Amino acid sequence: MRLDPSFIREALIKLLEALPTTIAITAVSVVCGFVAGTAIALVRVYRVPVLQRVAAAWVTLIRGTPMLVHLLVIYAGLTLLVDTLTGKLGLGWNSARIPMIGFAYLSFSVTASAYCSEIIRSGMLAVDKGQREAALSLGMTTMQTLRRIVFPQALAASVPNLTNFVIGMLHGSTLAFVVSVVDINAKAEIVASTNWKFFEAYLAAAVLFWGMTILLERAGGAIERRINRYRKGGVA
Amino acid sequence: MGLPFDISFVFSFIPKLASTLLLTLGIVAGSLLSGLLFGLIAALPRLYRVPVLEQFSIAYASFFRGTPILIQLFLIYYGLPELLKAAHIDVTRAPVLVFVILTYGLHTGAFVSETIRGAVMAVDRGQVEAAYSLGMTGPQAFLRVAAPQALAIAVPVLANQTLALLKETSLAFTLGVMEMSGKAQALARITQHFLEAYLALALIYLAVAFILEKLLLALECRLLRHELPEAAAGRFRLRRGLTLRKLASELRGGAPT
Repeated sequence: MRLDPSFIREALIKLLEALPTTIAITAVSVVCGFVAGTAIALVRVYRVPVLQRVAAAWVTLIRGTPMLVHLLVIYAGLTLLVDTLTGKLGLGWNSARIPMIGFAYLSFSVTASAYCSEIIRSGMLAVDKGQREAALSLGMTTMQTLRRIVFPQALAASVPNLTNFVIGMLHGSTLAFVVSVVDINAKAEIVASTNWKFFEAYLAAAVLFWGMTILLERAGGAIERRINRYRKGGVA
Repeated sequence: MGLPFDISFVFSFIPKLASTLLLTLGIVAGSLLSGLLFGLIAALPRLYRVPVLEQFSIAYASFFRGTPILIQLFLIYYGLPELLKAAHIDVTRAPVLVFVILTYGLHTGAFVSETIRGAVMAVDRGQVEAAYSLGMTGPQAFLRVAAPQALAIAVPVLANQTLALLKETSLAFTLGVMEMSGKAQALARITQHFLEAYLALALIYLAVAFILEKLLLALECRLLRHELPEAAAGRFRLRRGLTLRKLASELRGGAPT
C-alpha cells in the first residue's frame, strides 16, 4: 500500500464536516470551565472557610486523574443515576434520551474547571497586593476592585497559560469518541475504515489539528502583545 | 444500562486493576527515558543554531505539540510500518507496546526539547561569556556553567511533564494495550458494573499521581539541594527582561491531560 496524496485531500474535506463538533466541544468546555474555574479561584484566593477546602480537594482530584477517567465516570455515573431515579419515580424515560454530546460537554467542563482555576488563581496571586489595597482605600467595593483592578491584571498575566489551556482542551476533545460523538478524530476513523487508508485519514486529521493549534498560538501571541502595550511605562 | 451500584465492587476491582499498574508505569518510564533522549537531541540544534537541523527540530516540536496524542498514536501505529516498508524494514510483527512507547516518547520529547531550550536560553549570556573568558572550552562552559543553572529551571517543569505523561498513558487502550484504563473498561463490560470500575480506576490514578508527585518533589530537592527553588530567582542571572514567573508560564503551560 502506498501513500495516496489525493485521498488525504479527500479525507480533509470529509473531516471538515466534523469540525463544528470539535469546535463546539472545545468552546463549551472552555467557557464553562472558565466560569467555574473563576469561582473556584475566588473561593481559594479569598479563603472562604469550608468551601476553600472543598475547592482545593476538587482541584487535586481532577488534576490527579486523567481526562478519560472523568468522561468514563461521568458517563457511567450519570446514566446510572438518571435511570435509577426515573425508574423509581416512574417518569417513563431513561438516560438514552440524553444526547451523547451532553456527556462530553459536562465532563470536559469538569476537567477544564480545575485546570482553569489554577491558571486564574496564579494570575490573581501575581497581582500586587498593594493594588487591591489602593482600590479599597479609594472606596471601591470588593466587586468593583475585582472587576476594575484585579481581573484585568490577573487575566493579562495568564494569557500565555490560557492559550495553552485552550489548546489542551482542543486536543482533549478528541476523547469524545469514547461516548460515540463524531468529532474530527472519530470521523477520521470512519473515513479510513471505508477503504483502509488509515494513515492518510489520520494525517489529514493531524494537519487539521496542527493548523488550529497554530492559529490559537498566533491569536494568543497577538492578545499578549496587545496587552503588553500598556506595560511599557513612560507617559505616552 | 449496567447493574445497580454496589460499593464492594470498587474494592474488589482495585487489586485487579493494580495488577496492570506495572504496565502503565512501564509505559511511563519507557516514554520518559526516550522522551528525554529525543528532547535533548532535538534541543541541541536549536541551541547551537545548526542550520538545516534547526528547522527540522522546530517542525518536530511544533507538530508533536500541535496535534492531539490520540491522533499521534494512530498516525504512528498505522504510518510507521508503511514508511519503514519503503526502506525494506518489516515492523508489522513488532508488539503494539513498541509503537505506544515510541509515540509517547516522541510526544514527550517535543515538550522536553522546548523545556531544555527555554531553560538554557534563560541563563544569562554573560555567564557563558565569563566561562569562555576564563579559558573554558565550549563543552566545559555548557556542562559546568550553563547546564547546572538550566537544570534548576527545567527540573520542576520536567516533573510536571512526567505527571502529565502518567495521565496521558490512559489513552494507550485505543491501540489495544491492556494497561490500567483498558483493563478497567474490560472489567466494566464483563461485570456490567461500569461506575464501580471507573471509580476504582480514578482512585488508583489519584494514588499513583500523589505518590509520584511526592517522589518527584524529593528528587527535585535532591537535585537542587544547592539552590532552593525560591532562592533560584535571586541566585541565577536570568536573561534581561525575563522573570522566573514568566518563564514558568512559558514552559509549563497549564494544559489539561
